[in-house]
Amino acid sequence: MRGLRVALASLALLWGCRPPAKTLTIAIALLPSELPAYRAVLADFERDSGLRVVVVPQQYADIRRALAAEAVAGGGTLDLVELDVYSLSAAARYVAPLDAAALGPASDALDPQALRAGRIDGLRFLPHRIAWQALIYNQAVLEKPPATWEELLAVARSHPGQVGLKGALYEGLTCDLLPFVWAAGGSGEVLDDAGARAAFAFFAELAPYLNPQSQTFKESTVAEAMARGEIVLHLNWPFVMSLYASQGLAPQTIRSAPLPAGPHGRATVLGGGYIAVPRSAPHPEAALRLARYLVSYPAQRRFARQLGWFSARRDVAVPGSSELLAGFIEMRGQVRPRPERPDYQRLSRLWQQAFRSVVFAHADPGDTLQAAQRDLTGQ
Amino acid sequence: MRRTFGTWMWLLAAPLGLFLLAFLAYPIAYAIKLALTDPLTQAFPSVSNVRLIVHDSLFWQALWGNIILPIASVALELAAGLGLAVVMAARFPGRRLLRLVVIVPFALPEIVFLAIMRSVFAPRGYANAALAAAGAPPVEWLLPGRALTFLTVVVVDAWHVTPVVFLMVLAALAALPNEIDEAAQLDGAGMLARFFCITLPLLRPALFAAVLLRGLDAMRMFATPLVLAGVEGAPVLSTYAYHQWSDYGNDGAAAAAASGLALLCTLVTLLLLRRRVLT
Repeated sequence: MRGLRVALASLALLWGCRPPAKTLTIAIALLPSELPAYRAVLADFERDSGLRVVVVPQQYADIRRALAAEAVAGGGTLDLVELDVYSLSAAARYVAPLDAAALGPASDALDPQALRAGRIDGLRFLPHRIAWQALIYNQAVLEKPPATWEELLAVARSHPGQVGLKGALYEGLTCDLLPFVWAAGGSGEVLDDAGARAAFAFFAELAPYLNPQSQTFKESTVAEAMARGEIVLHLNWPFVMSLYASQGLAPQTIRSAPLPAGPHGRATVLGGGYIAVPRSAPHPEAALRLARYLVSYPAQRRFARQLGWFSARRDVAVPGSSELLAGFIEMRGQVRPRPERPDYQRLSRLWQQAFRSVVFAHADPGDTLQAAQRDLTGQ
Repeated sequence: MRRTFGTWMWLLAAPLGLFLLAFLAYPIAYAIKLALTDPLTQAFPSVSNVRLIVHDSLFWQALWGNIILPIASVALELAAGLGLAVVMAARFPGRRLLRLVVIVPFALPEIVFLAIMRSVFAPRGYANAALAAAGAPPVEWLLPGRALTFLTVVVVDAWHVTPVVFLMVLAALAALPNEIDEAAQLDGAGMLARFFCITLPLLRPALFAAVLLRGLDAMRMFATPLVLAGVEGAPVLSTYAYHQWSDYGNDGAAAAAASGLALLCTLVTLLLLRRRVLT
């Protein structure tokens, strides 16, 4: 009997002293409210793999800085990071190329446009979740959303000061203006091509009727202005519809619609978060396994259902009520990634400055775009 | 003995020296390195960050704002602080309570005070509600780049920090000898003459100290323009650096702008020291 006790105690001691399960650390841009559901999805992976996953919820900018710091230090703790799609080029040198063969069928199910944005000198980033903008309008004021540029201009004229654009000097402005450039046949990479000139001529026509606060509007402030009834339409991401729904404003009063079509159709900017394995990851193979799980059908379906995320997988439907997100669902086929080039941030800033000159300082669109292009090419 | 004292002296100074090295010298050196590193190629030294910001019109607006805002703000604080101190130095019922009221804005946490001010000057804020009640049209207090926006920022900043000047001048007023003022009064000098010819010259050291303290502090102004008017509203170098860091993730350009601000502050301090303001 005594021997049995000693044996049990020894076993317990050995169990307690066993080496800890391998721990993966991932930095993801999560809201506090999203963390429990995200952890629940990871629990399946932990059970199947025997690996432990520590989630560090951070903002995209902080994740990018941590990634850069670990790369400079030549080592660190992050095994997997999520980055904003627009910062992928800047962060590409800090992450390892992904072996397409090791990813297996996961990459085949992903939307090619979304996957393309993750290819910078080879595939480095996988779309963890994607998003795109649609037109958000007040149905109580506008029975029908404007379907074309002409109709948008007509709405602006009949509701002066009640059309809002995100005109603050930041990336959100590029997300508002690029769809117009693309819809006019522009490439988005050349500041003074015919499409860009047509889009900016349209902005100049629209300018007198824009809400003056457009100069400072960002995602949240323009959404708040709409909730207060100060504006009747603007462009925004799907999260605002959840916000309006929680306030009882959507889908009764505020609805989403496709962006107005220009001379060459319509388009919207791809946004979202991409995952990557840092060059300095302590467990790169396990991190790749986790990445593969995060873009798998079961995980993506749960993210869509429980967190309302849009998936880059073609076999996972847009979540939520179709009435609430009708505009976003219609825009799914017209999502385009932003120009992929190492100096994208500089290009983006030149677009923003040109827009602000034309719309708020009433500069000539052609001259402004030409000067911006000269600035870009250094001529 | 002397050698032992020297060793002890160095040992005692070592913690402070190490602290300054770790938390002052190293961050400054790193910021300069960051400013002179090409963000795309990581080449060092490179002037690409400097070139980027000098080609940015917002940088020049921020530099201009960093000159205009501190001058206007300190001038207003000085005038208001001096006026309030002179009034509050007099003996009258309820002056203790009034002194408290004057100091309250400074006692409030900066972000709380600015959030209140933001509500006051928002398009549908209290200021416009008051104008509407009086039958006047609303005013866009905080639209980017307008003179009124700068004025609003100056007034709010002065409102928040005037108590510092007020307390400095009030203390200096309390220390002035009464005999000089009484003698001038006996000689028939009026109130204004006594103020401009006696009180004000005697207050000069306190006023210089207030200008120096507040001037250098105002050059680092950050929260007031940012919270009230955003990055483009009434830009200064610190908000511009924040904008490059936060909105574009361009640490190098942010470091270049911050280094520019540090250089500007150093130059102004040297100028003031050269003019023996401190002495």
